[in-house]
Amino acid sequence: MSEAAAHAIDHHEPETSTGIHNKKVLMWAFLGSDCMFFGTLISTHLIYRKISATVGGNFLDIRDVFDIELTSFSTFILLASSLFMALAVSAIHKGNLTSTRWMLFGTIIFGAIFLACQVYEFTHFVHAPGNELTLSTYRGEPHVFGSTFYVLTGTHGTHVAIGVFWLLGWLIYSFTGKMSTADAMDVEVCGLYWHFVDIVWIIIFPVVYLMEYAF
Amino acid sequence: MNKEIIKFFKFSKGTILTSIICWFFIFLGGCSRIDHKQSALDPKGLVSQNQYDIFMLSVWITIFLFCAVGGCLLFVLWKYRAKSPEEAMEVPPQSHGNSKIEAFLIVASTVILIILAIPTLQGVVLMNRVPDPNDSETLNKLNLDKSSIEDAITVNVTGKRFFWVFEYPQFGIVTANELVFPASKAIRVNLRTEDVIHSFWLPKLAGKMDLMPGQENFLWFIADQEKILSKMDSDGNPIKSSIEDAMPPVFNGKMREKIFAKQKFTDEFEAVGGLFYGQCAEYCGNSHAYMSFRALAQTDEDFESWVKKYQDAQNPNLQPLEYDPEKEYQSGTVVSFQDDSTGETLTREYTATKSVNKGQAPNLSQAAWKKTHSDDYEIGKKLFSSLQCVQCHAINRTGLGSKGPNLTLFGIRTSLAAGWMRNDEENLSQWLKNSNDVKFGNLMWNGEGVDDSHPLRNLEDDDEKVNQLIAYLLGLK
Amino acid sequence: MATESIKYLSPDTDNKTETKVFPRPDQHAKGIVNWLTTIDHKKIGIMYGVSALFFLLLGGLEALLIRSQLWSHNMEVLTNREYNQMFTMHGTTMVFLVIMPLSAAFFNFIMPLQIGARDVAFPRMNTLSLWCFIAGGIILNLSWFFTGGSPAIGWFGYAPLTDNRFAEVLGDMGPDFWIFSLQVLGVASLLASFNFITTIINMRAPGMTMMRLPVFTWMTLIVSFLIILAFPAITIALVELMFDRTYDTNFYDFLEGGKPHLWQHLFWIFGHPEVYILILPAMGIVSEIIPVFSRKPLFGYGLIVFSGAIIGFMGFAVWSHHMFTTGMGIVATSAFSILTMLIAIPTGVKIFNWIGTMWGGRIRFETPMLFALGFITMFMVGGFTGIMHSSVPIDAQHQDSYFVVAHFHYVLIGGALFGLFAGFYFWIPKLTGKMLNEKLGKFVFTLMFIGFNLTFFPMHYLGMIGQPRRTHSYNEGHGFETWNQIATIGAFILGIGIAIGIYQFITAAFNKKLKSAGKNPWDARTLEWTLSSPVKEYNFARTPIIKSRDQAWENSYGPKENHSEKEPLGDHGVHMPDRSWCPLITSIGLFIFVLGLLFRESIEVSGSYFATPYEVAIGGCSVFVLGIILWALEGPAGYHLFPKENEE
Repeated sequence: MSEAAAHAIDHHEPETSTGIHNKKVLMWAFLGSDCMFFGTLISTHLIYRKISATVGGNFLDIRDVFDIELTSFSTFILLASSLFMALAVSAIHKGNLTSTRWMLFGTIIFGAIFLACQVYEFTHFVHAPGNELTLSTYRGEPHVFGSTFYVLTGTHGTHVAIGVFWLLGWLIYSFTGKMSTADAMDVEVCGLYWHFVDIVWIIIFPVVYLMEYAF
Repeated sequence: MNKEIIKFFKFSKGTILTSIICWFFIFLGGCSRIDHKQSALDPKGLVSQNQYDIFMLSVWITIFLFCAVGGCLLFVLWKYRAKSPEEAMEVPPQSHGNSKIEAFLIVASTVILIILAIPTLQGVVLMNRVPDPNDSETLNKLNLDKSSIEDAITVNVTGKRFFWVFEYPQFGIVTANELVFPASKAIRVNLRTEDVIHSFWLPKLAGKMDLMPGQENFLWFIADQEKILSKMDSDGNPIKSSIEDAMPPVFNGKMREKIFAKQKFTDEFEAVGGLFYGQCAEYCGNSHAYMSFRALAQTDEDFESWVKKYQDAQNPNLQPLEYDPEKEYQSGTVVSFQDDSTGETLTREYTATKSVNKGQAPNLSQAAWKKTHSDDYEIGKKLFSSLQCVQCHAINRTGLGSKGPNLTLFGIRTSLAAGWMRNDEENLSQWLKNSNDVKFGNLMWNGEGVDDSHPLRNLEDDDEKVNQLIAYLLGLK
Repeated sequence: MATESIKYLSPDTDNKTETKVFPRPDQHAKGIVNWLTTIDHKKIGIMYGVSALFFLLLGGLEALLIRSQLWSHNMEVLTNREYNQMFTMHGTTMVFLVIMPLSAAFFNFIMPLQIGARDVAFPRMNTLSLWCFIAGGIILNLSWFFTGGSPAIGWFGYAPLTDNRFAEVLGDMGPDFWIFSLQVLGVASLLASFNFITTIINMRAPGMTMMRLPVFTWMTLIVSFLIILAFPAITIALVELMFDRTYDTNFYDFLEGGKPHLWQHLFWIFGHPEVYILILPAMGIVSEIIPVFSRKPLFGYGLIVFSGAIIGFMGFAVWSHHMFTTGMGIVATSAFSILTMLIAIPTGVKIFNWIGTMWGGRIRFETPMLFALGFITMFMVGGFTGIMHSSVPIDAQHQDSYFVVAHFHYVLIGGALFGLFAGFYFWIPKLTGKMLNEKLGKFVFTLMFIGFNLTFFPMHYLGMIGQPRRTHSYNEGHGFETWNQIATIGAFILGIGIAIGIYQFITAAFNKKLKSAGKNPWDARTLEWTLSSPVKEYNFARTPIIKSRDQAWENSYGPKENHSEKEPLGDHGVHMPDRSWCPLITSIGLFIFVLGLLFRESIEVSGSYFATPYEVAIGGCSVFVLGIILWALEGPAGYHLFPKENEE
């Protein structure tokens, strides 16, 4: 499939040594690198998690802070969006433009819902009466948990937002009438990115939100 | 290009080789004396000796490797050089490698590394752990007394920009920039910092360890009295000095006198064996370079006397009391009372020259009391408060939290400005008049709350005040 | 050149290529437009090289100021803050703006030629990397003109010295410039590395299997992987630091629960692979040059490649040896000590193999070979002192003393820079089509070799007798003066040598007196030497079919079955992608965006209000996004060239 698509875009382009399209290799390399980005952020968070609970005589119990129902819902939404993404890629490979549009639209909406949940969650945490968690404080006292939490989940949120804009680009493009199976490879690469962002959330969600419930 | 340069090139290969060899020998020649003041090549303690031994082992290993591999390289270059343009165009046999030779070389280099790895691991343990005093086997191996470990001295070092605080928790005393320690005892050093990262480096005794914010680090050292006593004469021959020469007592100022008498500040080599130089080794800001310190080795008795003197000085209960007419005073007691003989009203100290009975009004004319200190000292003491020095410097108190170095018993210190200068009148006057000239960026001149209106910045033309301050500071002994 | 151009029209994508979203210069663009819009990997390589050489002069000037200040005790050439700024800028410049881009210059220019590709996989992205690198260099050096001057935090920027709390100048902006320039340079390195990885994995000529790749290309691949895996660590560390400084978070603020230790770990998880990012390209270059001037194939090719990969891999497992004195405890220091010793083995293997290569050869001592030999000897010294540092008790004395300064300059100048200079002398004939002046080259080598050893060998001794690093001054009475003076003299000799070398490289393109090089002046072995010098813009008129490892050599001396063949010339000729303004626009957008993030006060032009930083950031971001959208819409497009049969 992918080779065929590659040829459709530019039949002059020489076949690649591995048979995998250049753009796909590029995306895989980027995702490998992105693993290290999130790896660094998650390790920072984990290193500080134990220490941060006791800073300034101000004990922080994660169960007081998080709204686990809402986040479980948004996690489900984000995972569901991956299904839409997969369907969108499949549809464009088959040349079904209508289906592609709807599936892209579904992915975007679910991504947007996830982002909305996150924005709600952040504002909620910052203003939670008695439990204010800001970038630098918890209950008004200096604390590290807010720093690592917001920067980690915020970076993930930025990834989702970039993905949403990218998909939105495709959706708009699909209305220009120029979209063809030739673009399947590019959409597939976009899908790779989207799935990766989901997988990262599958790691972040238990590590950040669920750990205290498990142990 | 002119001809001379071309000619120069003809010899370039030879030039390079000879220059390497020449440099090697010049280098060796230059190192005939390696016991510079802050030299890691002249270890005077157990830990640093261990570090030095492993270093020399690695030096010999690498010299061997360098000669072996380098010699091999030179041989190949010489043997297989293309001797003529025709030869340069020949095609030699195109061999692609030899796995047996390669495997052998890998195994050989592993073996060499193991030779270095074993003492390294032993050294890591030695550096980080003071031996157990009950483990006589280890103590014997290290040639240590049980008592030297059991009676170890603990020193809490706090790094600040840009000076050092030394606190002795066992004795409840605090000093700054000069670490006095007994040569026969292990010294456990706990390292802390209140601002950025510093590094405590005492090359002749202990190597170095960083002071990390929010964490307490540890190193320890024990001096070797034999090594402190052995030194080199000006030609680099080892000679032996006496205890009085190498470790004169600090508490009565003998150390200071001896150091000042024996040599000039600019001498490259230290004449007094018990004086060690240390330095902050982690970049900590503008004046990082100026953050040095000293360590002074003492015999057990001298150290005890020093501790006693310090404890007395920093004990608030032993400060002279105000004269109380309801008390009797022995001859030699020091009390303070009001006096305006210097033209200013100040509380100054008097010593009883004979027994003073109860109920007597202080009467200076009766010769029962004499001034403990000179007038300049007393005025200097007052200036120390009125010029706001006291805002940052604690004297006769253990003010750990103060901004500047603790100046208790400053008169017996050998150096000032964090080990940067010799502590004498001339330098102290220069320092007080314009410390920014001496140590650009120092916090006494540039710190928080110090601006042009600060009295310190206006001492430059006020010789009188400076001299009074000096009389006070150097009188603290 | 008998070429003619047509607009590329493909039946599937007619409308795509006709989308004229932004005017694109045509293939015959001249002058400045040519350089600003080029997507040719060779021109990008040249621009990388020239700008890095400029930064080399700048960083060298900083080094000479540092050396002048240390001429004697208590010198006043620089104040202490100026000195601290100098060594910070010197370190940052040399690592990020000199050695890395010089390596990138060679990756760009040589690597596609070595694997038989017409360009890298993503030519426009390659251009973007270049402009991001230049933007990063400008941002770093802009710091001189703003509050606090340039950063005075060391190239390692240890927390908490970088915290606002400990700033020694009110509102010091130096660290902000440092943070953001490193981020932009990170973007440049990451993009370039993704590109190189894709190119090497996917764009090899038929028959160019992985085990036939020239060693330099292998090192490019390994370094690219190191970059994409190591840079994220520092990017995140810098993001956290940026949040600490700007939004008051507590990542490294120990008074509010943070750990300064974390910065050191994150920095060195990046920083140690970075050391190999700097040295492996030079090793690759030397592995190309030594076989050529010995007229023998590389001894133990497989082992050299494998040891390169092992060095790269293990480079991620030894970072804490930069932190032996930070109190990590017995277990951690011992483990990292042993791992560090182990990494010496693959490094030693390389040296053995280079000597093995020369064994039985016909060795010619031309300038590239001299630099390569200089590399081996100097790198050996640096490597041996490195083994010393791997031992914790030794490191307890050496850490942060001049001994360490000597060690890493032996690795980075005696190693990396000598290797890169060897590369310049080796490949400039391919680049310009003219041979460099051999005598002048040898003169440069002699100056550099003597100057370098004069400068840095005494520093071993200085470190051992107690001179600490990063001190703007030293006290009299320590015996540091003599050796520091020798080092300073050496530094000036080295500086003159490098300056003459740079002069020689730059003038090589214009000097009419130099004799022409021909296709393969050194009788070299790899594929790029089968092309004409200078290389045509399409590199290979017909894609070569590779039959053996040292293809150029085998073509001249090997048996018939090892000679390369060529794919037939197609009807469409050689498809060349169009030039583009988009990478430049995108990077300018990024540049403005970053400046907007950097400033905290409103920008005023001649006293009147101009814009708030946020407005600038949003403006820059818009330009950035616009650039990307235009980029996506314009597509690669392209034109065709029809070279004659053997015109390559």
